[in-house]
Amino acid sequence: MSASGSASDLRALAERLVAYGKSRGADEIEVGVGESDEFSVDVRLGEIESLVEAGSRSVGFRVIKDGKTASASSSDLAPETLERLVRNAVQRAELGSRDSFAGLPESSPARIDPEGLALYDPEVQTLDSLIKIDLALEAERIALADKRITNSFGAGFGTHEVRSVLASSNGFSGEFRKTYCSLSLGLQAGETDDRVEDFWFTSETHFGDLETPEQVARKAVERTVRQLHPRKIKTQKVPVVFEPLMTSSLLGFLFGCVAGTSIYQKASFLAGRLGEAIGNERITVVDDGLLPGRLGTSPFDAEGVPSQRTVVVDKGVLKSYLLNTYAARKLGLKTTGNSDGGGVSPNNFYLEPGPHAPEEIIRSCAKGLLLIRTLGHGLNPVTGDISRGAFGLWIENGEIAYPVSEITISGNLGEMLRNVEMVGNDLEFRGAVCGPTVKIAEMTVAGE
Amino acid sequence: MNEPNPIRTIAFEDHFGLAPEDLRRTLALALESGGDFAEIFLEYRAYNFVLMEDDIVKETAESISLGMGIRVISGEKTGFGYANDLSPEKIRRAAQAAAAIAHAARPVPAIDLRTATPTHDFYPVGEPCHRLPLDPKIALVKEAYGACQAFDPSILKVKAGIQDSIQFVTVANSEGLLASDARPMAKLTCTAIAEKGPVREHGYAGGGGRIGLEYFRSVLGPEEIGREAAREAVALLDAREAPAGEMPVVLSAGHAGVLIHEAVGHLLEADFNRKKTSIFHDKFGKKVGSPLITIYDDPTIPSFRGSYNIDDEGTPPRKTLLIEKGVIRGLLQDRLSAGLMKMPLTGHGRRQDYSDIPIPRMANTYIAPGESGRENILRSVKKGFYADRFQGGQVEDSGKFTFSVSSGFLIEDGRLTAPVKQATLIGSNIDILNKIEMVGADLAWSLQTGTCSKEGQDVPVMDGCPTMKIARMTVGGRS
Repeated sequence: MSASGSASDLRALAERLVAYGKSRGADEIEVGVGESDEFSVDVRLGEIESLVEAGSRSVGFRVIKDGKTASASSSDLAPETLERLVRNAVQRAELGSRDSFAGLPESSPARIDPEGLALYDPEVQTLDSLIKIDLALEAERIALADKRITNSFGAGFGTHEVRSVLASSNGFSGEFRKTYCSLSLGLQAGETDDRVEDFWFTSETHFGDLETPEQVARKAVERTVRQLHPRKIKTQKVPVVFEPLMTSSLLGFLFGCVAGTSIYQKASFLAGRLGEAIGNERITVVDDGLLPGRLGTSPFDAEGVPSQRTVVVDKGVLKSYLLNTYAARKLGLKTTGNSDGGGVSPNNFYLEPGPHAPEEIIRSCAKGLLLIRTLGHGLNPVTGDISRGAFGLWIENGEIAYPVSEITISGNLGEMLRNVEMVGNDLEFRGAVCGPTVKIAEMTVAGE
Repeated sequence: MNEPNPIRTIAFEDHFGLAPEDLRRTLALALESGGDFAEIFLEYRAYNFVLMEDDIVKETAESISLGMGIRVISGEKTGFGYANDLSPEKIRRAAQAAAAIAHAARPVPAIDLRTATPTHDFYPVGEPCHRLPLDPKIALVKEAYGACQAFDPSILKVKAGIQDSIQFVTVANSEGLLASDARPMAKLTCTAIAEKGPVREHGYAGGGGRIGLEYFRSVLGPEEIGREAAREAVALLDAREAPAGEMPVVLSAGHAGVLIHEAVGHLLEADFNRKKTSIFHDKFGKKVGSPLITIYDDPTIPSFRGSYNIDDEGTPPRKTLLIEKGVIRGLLQDRLSAGLMKMPLTGHGRRQDYSDIPIPRMANTYIAPGESGRENILRSVKKGFYADRFQGGQVEDSGKFTFSVSSGFLIEDGRLTAPVKQATLIGSNIDILNKIEMVGADLAWSLQTGTCSKEGQDVPVMDGCPTMKIARMTVGGRS
């Protein structure tokens, strides 16, 4: 299904609402319109389980009057609804407080050409539904042919096309299209009360970049069966090796701690530490909204600020927070183009790879834990404390010895960044937040 | 309630501009390719938000969500389409998208829609929040903020907010059901950050439910919420690292309900049992835990966040016995699983919004009270861990689960001693259910602010439990 109406209709709608807001007394107004076409299929045990096809639109805006902000959003795009919401917002702003930091970004002539960012793959939209269904069926079929797999959570294939439009009273008006596609598979192995589970996925902006169903199936099987027959271990302090997906999750936590909104609220242990060494020289972290074809790439953020490459941590030194206009003004800094409308979000936020092959990192551990999955939350940005349920493979004399489960790992992100001993060379952009294999010198692993 | 609830008097036609005849025609279209069952879910939700931080009312927001989801079931397969433009052409396209799941066209039987009006109302609302101006809501936020800030000089930052919404839903299906509900919701929350020397800690509190604004004057006041957030943050300033290793664990009444939600509730959702991925799927009628444990899910508790008059498939909900004295007695059902498993509906088919397919979900899940006194439970522990406040948890189908403790105490010689901070508890559900040694008489409930996530869908839930003792459990602290 392709949405009716061209993107320029959406842009006209956004620009019309900006003009309407100004005419109703808003000092500033910024309007975003999104349109999305979605297809997804879930298959399980060789049959289609669900098929979803839909298109939707939404509008979100904020107005500023006398330094007071009010915002609104709607999935009802009827002109009378949108105009009422604009009038309500202008009126409601009166009830807020004057905030000298509020407002839109300074207008800027800088523009990034969306064409150069390779975000749109026409094949994603034209691909026949039957092919999409077959990809999911094939991935699951290959996995189920392995006798060690005893049940399936199913495979899914999904595509998404999104059109984003933004117009504001500071003169900005822009739009871009982006495609997403993904193939995923979840499996169970083991019998009755001794089951293990895991999944694998591939997710890209371009259909041709996806891993094949066979690659996804093989990886999902391997990740699942390697956990069979886990042992418990004693509570101890050991080196912990993070697999790339685990490093990504750690980076997600780090993002929350360098997000400008957490910094001015003093809700991060990294508040007030710009320019300080927060990790050792092996740590370089970058947020880059301009990497062509990546999941976190876009020409501009939710305030129309052009995307950029920001070095967040340079060889251990905290160089920059990630900011929207408001957080930047509160902190006396310049926005980094990370606004997501409400707060800040990562673009492509990653830990730069190091020199070591992952096998070499495992070989370096006389004893240790290869962390493969975590369960639960247990992240506290105010202190940097981490405590999570964990699944892993126990390392003895540089070799994988056996799987372990019902353990927890705990540590503190600040200490961990100082104790990174090795960084892998296996960075893959599997999501907007990612990192390679990493070895932390020591963490507490709690078991029996 | 003597008076009819004022928020339920609006007919669905007025929200969606559709007449029963439009729905009937759309259902017939959805069944044209030969599905067994078709359903329309219409939703209109209006939401308001006020945020206070840095001593000012920083932002207000209003949001409207309008749309419809159309589902066709054919055997075990589901076709689904949705639209947020309720024009005839978009509705037709959504119906055709859903119909595409079936491939055996046959004559569509006549559909006779009969309005089912529930006789109960679980939302005893005095002043519906969505009809009130912003000023009294701003006043509540300011009071919570002020009480939090004034609690102690160590309070460094405060954030307080109020959110309220009204959700009108109408469900029509090819079996002739036509049912509507108007669900109010409100929550007032406060977070605090306290500082002492180099140490900073965080506290959180909140309240609400399917209530009117009067709740925050008569049941739980804004000052109480503000002070509680501050109290937690300040107490943590002097907390030490949590212990690590296996030890006896006592769970506080109310907040520890998250344990039952994770360890039991999810794995008794019917879909995981129908697909045989849940560790419980072959244990119906069998003993899986201590005879001290009886567990219910009850979506009919008035005012509770997890309650509803009808579920998102139009089914009136039932208080459902899940575990009786350690034996599995029930599952949480939606239409698809109940039909395929040939079991009765329980009214637990829920969806985040019109763009989602309904799935079995918890509502208000709790452990029935036992007989032990809290003091006796504590006295029975020589050395252990008392888990007081929680951040949430997670479970996988194999039964491995965790939950995160945000603050607790050491238990030494039967008494609570040093406060301790963040730790994760991990266990395997059947193992832990069998190790529950004592259950208190003091059933209490978690905060009326909780949300549960499953397959990308968030729905409001509540959980509760009395004080409980687990003989041994792995505590993931650092010392």
